[in-house]
This record gives sequence, C-alpha cells and structure tokens, in this order.
Amino acid sequence: MNRYGWRTFALEIGMIAVTLLFAFPLYVLVNLSLRPEGQLSSPLAIHWPPTFANYSSAWHQAALGRAIFDSLVITVGSVAVVVIVSSMAAYPLARSTARLSRWTFGLFMLGLLLPFQLALLPLYTAMRDLHLLGSLWGLILFYSGLQVPFCVFLYTAFLRAVPRDYEEAAVLDGCTPLRAFRHVVFPLLRPVTGTVVILNAIFVWNDFLTPLLYLSGTDRQTIPVAIFTFVGQYSSDWQLVFAALVMGIAPILLVYFAMQRQIIRGFSGGLKG
Amino acid sequence: MIDADFEVVRDEAPPMSLARGATLVRRARAQLGVGTSTWWFVLPALGLYAFIVLIPTVRGSYYSFTDWDGLNPVKHWVGLDNFTAILHDDAARGAIKHTVLIAIAIMLIQNAIGLLLALGVNSQIKSRNILRVVLFAPAVMTPVVVAFLWQYLYTPDGAINRALGAVGLHGLERGWLGDTSLALWCIVVVIIWQFAGYSMVIFLAGLQSIPAEITEASAVDGAGAFRRFWYVTRPLIAPAITVNLMLSIIGGLKLFDQVWVLTGGGPGYATDTLSTLIYRNAFQFGEFAYSTALALLLTVFVAVVSGAQYRLLRSQEYA
Amino acid sequence: MAAVRFDSVSRVFAKELRPAVDRLSLDIPDGEFLVLVGPSGCGKSTTLRMLAGLERVDGGSIWIGDSDVTRVAPQNRDIAMVFQNYALYPHMSVEQNMGFALKMARTPRPQIRTRVGEAARLLALDEFLGRKPGALSGGQRQRVAMGRAIVRDPQVFLMDEPLSNLDAKLRVQTRTEISALQRRLGTTTVYVTHDQVEAMTMGDRVAVMNEGRLQQVDAPKRLYARPANVFVAGFIGSPPMNLRVGRLDRDGVLLDGYRIPLGRDLLARAAAAGAGRDGELVVGFRPDAAELTAESEPGLAVVVEEVEELGFDAFAYAAALDDAAESLHSADIVARLPGDTAVSRGQKMRLRVNPQGIHLFSTKTGESLD
Repeated sequence: MNRYGWRTFALEIGMIAVTLLFAFPLYVLVNLSLRPEGQLSSPLAIHWPPTFANYSSAWHQAALGRAIFDSLVITVGSVAVVVIVSSMAAYPLARSTARLSRWTFGLFMLGLLLPFQLALLPLYTAMRDLHLLGSLWGLILFYSGLQVPFCVFLYTAFLRAVPRDYEEAAVLDGCTPLRAFRHVVFPLLRPVTGTVVILNAIFVWNDFLTPLLYLSGTDRQTIPVAIFTFVGQYSSDWQLVFAALVMGIAPILLVYFAMQRQIIRGFSGGLKG
Repeated sequence: MIDADFEVVRDEAPPMSLARGATLVRRARAQLGVGTSTWWFVLPALGLYAFIVLIPTVRGSYYSFTDWDGLNPVKHWVGLDNFTAILHDDAARGAIKHTVLIAIAIMLIQNAIGLLLALGVNSQIKSRNILRVVLFAPAVMTPVVVAFLWQYLYTPDGAINRALGAVGLHGLERGWLGDTSLALWCIVVVIIWQFAGYSMVIFLAGLQSIPAEITEASAVDGAGAFRRFWYVTRPLIAPAITVNLMLSIIGGLKLFDQVWVLTGGGPGYATDTLSTLIYRNAFQFGEFAYSTALALLLTVFVAVVSGAQYRLLRSQEYA
Repeated sequence: MAAVRFDSVSRVFAKELRPAVDRLSLDIPDGEFLVLVGPSGCGKSTTLRMLAGLERVDGGSIWIGDSDVTRVAPQNRDIAMVFQNYALYPHMSVEQNMGFALKMARTPRPQIRTRVGEAARLLALDEFLGRKPGALSGGQRQRVAMGRAIVRDPQVFLMDEPLSNLDAKLRVQTRTEISALQRRLGTTTVYVTHDQVEAMTMGDRVAVMNEGRLQQVDAPKRLYARPANVFVAGFIGSPPMNLRVGRLDRDGVLLDGYRIPLGRDLLARAAAAGAGRDGELVVGFRPDAAELTAESEPGLAVVVEEVEELGFDAFAYAAALDDAAESLHSADIVARLPGDTAVSRGQKMRLRVNPQGIHLFSTKTGESLD
C-alpha cells in the first residue's frame, strides 16, 4: 500500500528514535576514544578538540598490528580450507542416493546440533599432545573442522537443486571427476561459496575462547584475545581501552559497510534451511 | 560460468556413435553416484570433522564418566559420580538455572523486538535502508568488544547512569553488573542489543516473501493493521519464526564470551552459566572430568530443546 | 450499493514528470458496470487502487455514495476487490478465503457458512471448499477470487484485470459469467482492463484513459461510432481505425489526390473548428468503411501487403503508393473484404471510402471536428 500519511510519518520518527537508541553505545564508544587522558566530564558530551593519542598508544601496547595479521592468517586459511573441503564433500552427498551417502550426510548434520563444549577439553589435550597449541596452524585446523557440518549442509542443499547436465557433459568430454568438479561444478556453487565465506569469516574473526586457550602463553593473538588481554591490563583507563575497542572492530565494520547487502543476504538466507 | 578450459575440451571431442554415447552416459551416471570415483571427495571433510568434532565429542562423553584430570593417561570409571556431584553442587545448579533463564529471556525478548523492528523497516518509511544497515551492524561486531563496551556503560560512573541523571531519572541509577538481582538481566540486554538486528533480518526476509497483494487484499477485506498481521502475516512468516526461535535459544544456551567478559560469572556466582562454569572448572580448578560432565549435560539440554521446539514449530507451518 | 464519484483526482509519483493520474473526474451511477480501459501506463490501475484506498490521493476527492472516502482506510470503505493475481490467502482453505471478510465484519459463524455456501454454489466451487489455493487450477482460483468479492455484498466491486491470467477460451467464457453476475447482483462495478474487446463487450459505459487523462467516457456503441479524439478512435475497434492526414477543400477531403465528398455541414464545421494550415486535418475511417476496387476505378492508389483470413471475414492490409501522405498509425491501411473477394499480395488496387464513415480530427489537438 502506498499511503504515506501522518501515521507512516509517526512510524518513521519512532523507528529513527529506536535506531538512535541502538546507536547510542557506539556514539559513547567513539566519543570517549577521542578524549585525552584524565578527561572526566560526562561521556555524553563531545570534547573538543579530539585527540588520537589514545589510538597510537593502544595500537602499540595491544600489539594490534600483529593481532590483525594473526587473525587474518587464521581466517583466510580456515575459510579457504573449509570451502574446498566442504564443497567437495557435498558433491557425492548431493548426487548419490545410496544409503551410505544419506547416513554420512546425517553424520555431518549431527555436528550442527552438538555444542562445542563437550569436545572442547578432549580436543585441547589432543592438540597439546600433538604440539599444535601456540601455533596458528592448530587454529586453522580447528576452525576448518568445526565449520565443516554447517558448510557441508549449505553446499549439499544447494547442489541438490542444480541439474546434473553440466557434470555429465563434462564427463562425456573426458574429464575425470576431479576435473569435472573443479571446472564445472564448483563455479556453479559461487552463490553458496559467497555465503559460506562471509558467515565463516565473521565467525572465525570474532571467536574468542579457543584462541584464548590455544595461544595463551605465546605472543600470538587474535584480535579478540588481544583486546581481552589489553583491557585486562589497562581497565581503568577507559579512553585508551575504547581506542583499542574501536580499532578492534574497525576492520570488520569496514567490511560490513562495504558489503552489507551481501552480508545481510548471507545471514537471512538461512531461511531456506 | 564454465571456464575456458572446459570449452576447449568440448571442441576437441570427436563425434561418436549413438551406442557409444549411450554407454558413456551410463558410465558417467554410475561414476557420479557413490561407489567408484567420487566417494573419496567426502574424505577430507570427514577426516577434519572427525578429528575436531566427532572423536573429541565421543571421548568427552566417555570421560564424563571417569576421573580424568587432563594429564594423567590413566582414567578410572566412576559411573555417575560426576553427575551426582553436579546435582549437589549449588554453583552448578545455579548455573543451570541461569543458563535456562538467559536462553528463554533472549528467545522471547530478542525475537519480539526483532519482529517489531522488521515490521517497522518493512513499511513505507523513507529511511528503511539505512536503519536496516545500522540495526544489523552490532551482529557482526566481536562479542568480546561489545561486552567490554557495555561493561563500561554499566559502571556506576558510566554512560547509562550519567544518561539517566541527565534526564533527571537519578532514582533509576543502579549498580547494574554489581547488583546480584540485576546482573543477569543486564547481560540479557547486551545480547539483545547485539542480536535483535539479526532476528530482524530473518523476519524481514520472511515478510518480504509475502506478496504485497495478499496484505492489500486483507485490508480490502476489512482487516485493520493488527488483524492483518495476526491472520495473514503471522501464519505466512512461520518459517522465519521457527528459524529465529531455534537459533536464539541454542545460541542462548551456549553463550560464553559476553558473560565471561561482563561479569566472569559474578557477582559471586550470580550470573554463572553452564559455559562459564565449564571453563572455570577446567582451566582454573583443573577439574576436567567434572567439567566434561557439565558439557555433556549442556549437550543433552540443547539436543532435547532443539528437537522439541523443531517439532512443535514445524507443525505450525502451513505448507 | 452506491454511486462512485471521482472529483479531479490526481496521483503523482515521486521523481516522475507527469502525473500518473491527472485530474480525473468521473461520475459512476449506482449499479453501473464501468470499464476503465487504456494502454499500459495510462493510469487505470492507479485509479482503481485509489478508489480502493491502496494508493495515496494527491489531489481531488473520491466519493462512494454520500461519503468522501479520500482519506479513509481500505478496510473501512465497504468495497470488494478482485486482484489481477487473485491474491488468495495461501494458508487458508477456499471456504476460509471466501469467508475472511465476513469474519472481519464479525458476522456470526453460521451466517458465514451459509453465505459462503451460496456463493460457492453460484460459482460451482462447492467441491473445492476444503482445498487450499495451491491445489486449484488457474480458472478455479479466479472463481474463488470472485467468490471472495461477491460473498460480501459491498457498495462497489473493483476488478483489476481479473481475466488476464486465463487462457483465451476461458477468458471468453468467464467474461459472460461476470457480466451476468453483475447484472444479477446490481452492484456498482469498476472494472479495469487493457483489452478493448473486453471493455466493449462488458461495460455499460467505457472510460478510455491515456497518459493519466480521461479521454472519453461513453456507452460502447457511441465510443465506437463517435470517438472524441484521435486516441480513442485508434484505440477502440479491432482492427483499429485508419487515420491519415488529409486536406480539406471545397467539396470534401483529399487523400493524396483522392477526393472523398462530404456534406456541407460537416465541411463548414470542420473549417470553423480549425482545420490546420493548408486545411490539414486527420481523416479517420474504419476498415468496414473502406473498399478495395480495381485499379481502373477512382480511389487512393494502394498495394496490398497482407491479407488476413478470419473465416467469416477477411482484412487486407495495404500501403499507399504515394508516400507523401504519412499515416498516423503505420504504413498500412486496413480494409474489410467481403467474403468472396479474391485479393492477393502485391496486387495494385484502389481504395474507396464511404463518406458516411468518415471521422475528422484536428491535427493540432487531435479532437474530433464533427
């Protein structure tokens, strides 16, 4: 209905007010991060002129540059592995109707249900015994395995709806199954791959507990861990802390604002399942 | 989408007889099924999955019935001792209560707010696109960062009390996270703030899948705004409702980051959840077996709740 | 049942230069079946939606009966609407779909059941009452959409191209059913279509719209016989009226040297009403006023390009040999061929026009000059 009457206007005002309320904490966050040390006036007022001293201090003291690098390596590494591995696994699962295939799919689906806490400790000890703790590889391995069920699910559901014609044509032309997959099937999965990459990257980037456990005692940190340790040390100096917080979420917010349409679509596409 | 490599192969394929073509198709079909050449595609994923999730889960389930301490390779079967200990442990019972409370509160309130936001954003207002982007933004932020931000807001001298004071509501100022009766709800607020946008987005997808003509028809049929929603919109977004309720309750049961950062389980043990309890028992007290037993309990919880809820909600959907 | 009045109603969509509906004024008496017809984008659907309350009114007012409903919400207007895509509630059964409005009006349940039952019987839907729309064919769904409207006994029926999704045969059948139904119920009906055949066969009166403006509203016969302007002349009638630029002279009109004699009155009126510079005006004649004769006879020189055989009738599409005179529609002139005439493609012939069938229009305004 295209009736923009006074009622719709009232709704518009109301929604804007609610959104401002939601944005209020972020306003406080940025506002305080730009204050010089020791400024104790109300967090609601803007202090002029703003200072970036907090940012440079926090950057060095929290070793954020290094943390961003470590987070990036882990995120890119695990997302790449999980995309390749899950899409490949989805292929026979989507195409075959044999009982073994259906049971294997069910096995993967089990992982969607299991909270990770149960596996947490045994895996920790296993990683420890394999000397994978303290290294980025351990985490790449971890996230790859953890995200397999969800990604296999997404890929299989999508692939089931794709007609087999393309693959059959490829095999007729002499492709081995692997080549057929690489050149024909995988490109067809691009929409799902987009969603998988987005959802996984955000999850891995933001994860806290496992990097905390696995990397403790080393100088490697992911962003969440770096923030956590930093705040633990400087908790009384909120301006400094806030500068660190802002820098901590800046990367992901920048990516979000640049790609919000795809990101939101990726999150809400789960409706099909 | 089919790349150049494939095209070249196509061009070089020699013409073939009908019979030979038929044989190849049959073989191709057989190959593409399970059995000969592609079944091994599953192995890498299966291997990673087994190593990271399945095997540790099985081991964990087993260890919860032993006296495992994480170091000593020898474990003794102790049967249900760990579980009876849980029942007798006040901290554990409290944690269970808190976990359930938080999960239910989140499920109900976050989705109610998310639905209202979705209805607002789905209307004719001009700022809908910007509002949608802003409201969803917290959902992608690092939970740890969000938690620290709110921890500050909740401090007695923090922005919330200051804001209340600024509008003259000094009487509403509180100790927030330090107040044993309020702390749990403070945590719930933080989660809702972060994820209401997420619920909203899923509801939006559901709302936008309803053809406009149908809501218009119901208006012409005499239904005002509320009745349009109740009789037409609500049944047609049932799948979105299902997804949202399930995601929020499972997420709520497993919650760790925010609780740990905001209160660490405190004040005292007033906001301890199963997840924080598991962490503390394992990495601060070294009680690996007890911790794993708690984890098994949590797993059973989640399985039962998801199963029941899924069945209940699916029956509500019309198609 | 009530009369409907549009009083200088306008709708302007943001960012668009011309209004979608431009100061439309239309009076529809109680019980009339009025058809709104016009090409895509002419504003007919927007007009209907404004009447329904689904579209904001930017200027003027709309009246149903004695009430000004311009700002009234759709649910309070006591109207029923059949949507182009039927808009049936997918999660409700046929019976619930048809009874929904009655339920909203808080009609007691037994009464709902009776009324729905009656309407279902009328539309041969009784056996489908328990089914959901997804399990019905297109034609059945269309009937449910109709049933949903007639069960209510509203003041006005609104129909937005309800037949456009049906196949041709079903369309013709349903057309007569709708007309009969409306006559029986006597409810004021506003019916939108882009198909002028539907308009001509169904309406008590037809309102032709183009580019947001009302061109002419009249009974179908008058619309056909006395179009008010060039647009209506070319829109109503199939095949369309031939429209060519001609010149006025003392005794008639000239089409490329072929003179069609006209009566004194008509000539005087045309001259007075302002034929263009050099006496230019638009000459219109329908295919059945045109006749093809042998080359030896007097007439407009044409060559036959195409012949359309329709069984009971045939039409020849011809192009004028002298291209100096441009036609307003296409290069083709359409002439009706009596059943036994043998005419072939490429044949050179002469076109003669019956003076009784001539319509004159101004080249400047397009308005009728007679």
